[in-house]
Amino acid sequence: MLRALRRAADRRRQAHGDYAWLFYPYTGDELVAIDCQTTGQDPRSAELVSIAAVRLRGDRVLTSDSLDLRLRRPASLDSEALRLCGLRRVDLVDGESLDQALVRLLDFVGNRPLVGWHLDHALAILNRELRGRLGFDLPNARIDVAQEYLRQRRRSHLELGRQPRFEQVAEGLGLPVMGPHTALGNAVTTALMHLRLSRGALPVP
Amino acid sequence: MVDVDLSQPPFTFLDDEGRERIRRGIDLAYFDRDEIILETGQPGEYVFLIHKGEVAELDTTQPGAREHIGHYTQGDLFGAISILNGTSRYRFRAEQETLCYLLPKALFLQLCDAYPPFAEFFRQRLAHKTRLLTEQRAEGGVTMAGFMLARVNECMRSPLCVAEDSTIAEAVTTLHDSHADSLLVEGPQGPGMVTKTDLLNALVLDGQPQSSPVQAVARFELVTARPDQYLFEVLVMMTRAKVERVVVMEHGVPVGVVELTDVLSFFSSRSYVVSLEVEQADSLEALAAASRRTPELVRALMAQGVKLRFAMGLLAALNGRIINKAWGFLIDARYHHDSCLMVMGSEGRGEQILKTDQDNGLILADGLAWPDCAEQMQRLTDTLIELGYPPCPGNIMVSNPEWVGTESQWRSRITRWVERRDGDSLMKLAIMLDAHAVAGNPALLEGVRRSLFEQCAGDELLLSYFARPVLHFSTPLTLFGSLKKPQHGIDIKKGGIFPIVHGVRVMALERQVMVTSTLDRLDALVEDGRLEARFAEDLGEALALFTELRLRQQLERLDDEDGRRDGEPDRVVVQELSSLERDLLREALHIVKEFKQRLSHRFHLEYS
Repeated sequence: MLRALRRAADRRRQAHGDYAWLFYPYTGDELVAIDCQTTGQDPRSAELVSIAAVRLRGDRVLTSDSLDLRLRRPASLDSEALRLCGLRRVDLVDGESLDQALVRLLDFVGNRPLVGWHLDHALAILNRELRGRLGFDLPNARIDVAQEYLRQRRRSHLELGRQPRFEQVAEGLGLPVMGPHTALGNAVTTALMHLRLSRGALPVP
Repeated sequence: MVDVDLSQPPFTFLDDEGRERIRRGIDLAYFDRDEIILETGQPGEYVFLIHKGEVAELDTTQPGAREHIGHYTQGDLFGAISILNGTSRYRFRAEQETLCYLLPKALFLQLCDAYPPFAEFFRQRLAHKTRLLTEQRAEGGVTMAGFMLARVNECMRSPLCVAEDSTIAEAVTTLHDSHADSLLVEGPQGPGMVTKTDLLNALVLDGQPQSSPVQAVARFELVTARPDQYLFEVLVMMTRAKVERVVVMEHGVPVGVVELTDVLSFFSSRSYVVSLEVEQADSLEALAAASRRTPELVRALMAQGVKLRFAMGLLAALNGRIINKAWGFLIDARYHHDSCLMVMGSEGRGEQILKTDQDNGLILADGLAWPDCAEQMQRLTDTLIELGYPPCPGNIMVSNPEWVGTESQWRSRITRWVERRDGDSLMKLAIMLDAHAVAGNPALLEGVRRSLFEQCAGDELLLSYFARPVLHFSTPLTLFGSLKKPQHGIDIKKGGIFPIVHGVRVMALERQVMVTSTLDRLDALVEDGRLEARFAEDLGEALALFTELRLRQQLERLDDEDGRRDGEPDRVVVQELSSLERDLLREALHIVKEFKQRLSHRFHLEYS
């Protein structure tokens, strides 16, 4: 509700801006899977470390057409967070500035629907940065693979355990985890999970 | 961009930059079970590299089971040939949920241009596969490399005939004029053969005049062949009958002669050299030297793609000759007529290619007095060990008095085994069923085996007990039809060879089929109406495939004897096979499973 209101306001404000096209309804058949790595879990304080996005068309994951952005080292990136992301400080030395990265991401994503694992969490951080710089949130339609998975699983399992973990779900769906602990690898795996889930029910264990 | 394993050929033909281009250029696709990935006639747009899953290649023009021509799993690559040819010749279907990397056509062609070895790889594969396919489709399911398809009529020379009243002088002139070694003479019951040696012997040794009729010199017991037989069979015949010429007969008329030298020009292998050495060996040392060369011969035959059935035939004949020769050297000629040396087990079935343990026994005529028999047999066993036949761990050898006996002793032994019906007795019965005479008087063995059949064939209870071991080892297939335990390899002897051999043996016992080789037994059972021809053929092919896989493993073990590859020779690691072989293996195991079900139905093994 709040999100819809906010989107309507953003749209009016951007109607004549550079990003007005982002608010048009999407008519193509592509999706974009995204994944972000951040310095922490709290969406209010965590900072972005890397962003990756990959397009899906039909039953294809267009890995040849993907976006993998490493950002310049954020101030709050301590060694604890580095360990979390599996990155080294060196990896981030020639990263991009956040402004550039967000512009490239917007160009890549366009108004296609977004697919992600716990998408809300990633988008909360992205939107915080976006709003500060460009003055709007990502208006795209959202598909959260984690939710999708839970919904399908609920059909076959009445009682539901805790939140499933990313790797477990991939294994359960018979999918390999592509390049674990990189944003692009996670994005590709998420894309595959979505393909798998959208094409048929979960295998009954 | 994505982690894709490019450490296997053909990607090893690329440099880092080329691999990086692939990484940047590929997409991922996900296919559901039974989804068709590439249809026949569809233009190839991508090269598919399987990340996970299984894909079948189907020839839709072939009926049913034969349409399966390829099987691809993790790490395999397909679709490249479709790009090179323009369209796909076959249909590719996902057998399981499959995740593929897609390498676009444009990038693939660029890489082919930039890296010639990379392009070469695909051309080679194409030729390789085409060869496999032609072999598979060769008429009547006969699989042989090109030269093995040579038939007798391609190699025979036209017969040189002289009239029945010709003289020796005329014969010599004819031979001289036509640069031949032998000629045919018309005789009262058909043609006879005269060789240069015969003529020389007649003239010089027997002192016959030049004007005497050549017919008197000719030999009329000819070894004959049909023009449509395979040349290889003729070679086997020559080895077996110890002759150098075979007359080709069609409708009772000689149409040609095949000379050993002609056959040899076809097979530039050493098969003949070895059999010649065996024949010429005049001492045990020479025989041992010839015997040591048989693995070489097997390897040469395998390398040339000789069909296993023929290779087995040749080797069985050779082994038989070697043992026979050894027997001839060691045993006094006066005992030859009243005793019979038999080989048993795989050797008796003629299915042993490399030398395995010696399984042999001796039958003596009733009332024969042979005082130092035991010593002689001990010597025979020792000699055979020297000749390269390792001793039998179960001590089934002539040096063991249990496997030596007179005819009546053997008969009472068989009766005892039939009555006892325990595991040991049943095993001995099975061994005895495969017995084959190699030296001495074969009629003795005939008699013993006939009484064995008489005692057993009608005994349903015994047959049921006898058939039970077929089910002892499970066929390594899951219900889902994919190979079980791929990492650990599958035991091809227990899972494949044994059920077929033993099952066919039981049926042969039931129907009183006297031949010992499994393939011959299958033929006989078809003739008997016990098995339908199609199924028997499938069983034979399956057995040949298992034997071939096993043999290859054994040859590899011979290659490095220090035991670097210390695994068991019967274990086949599925990953080491090519995709076509994997597919064939899977089919073959399915056939074994079906056979076991039939047997268990026929002999009521469900309740045991």
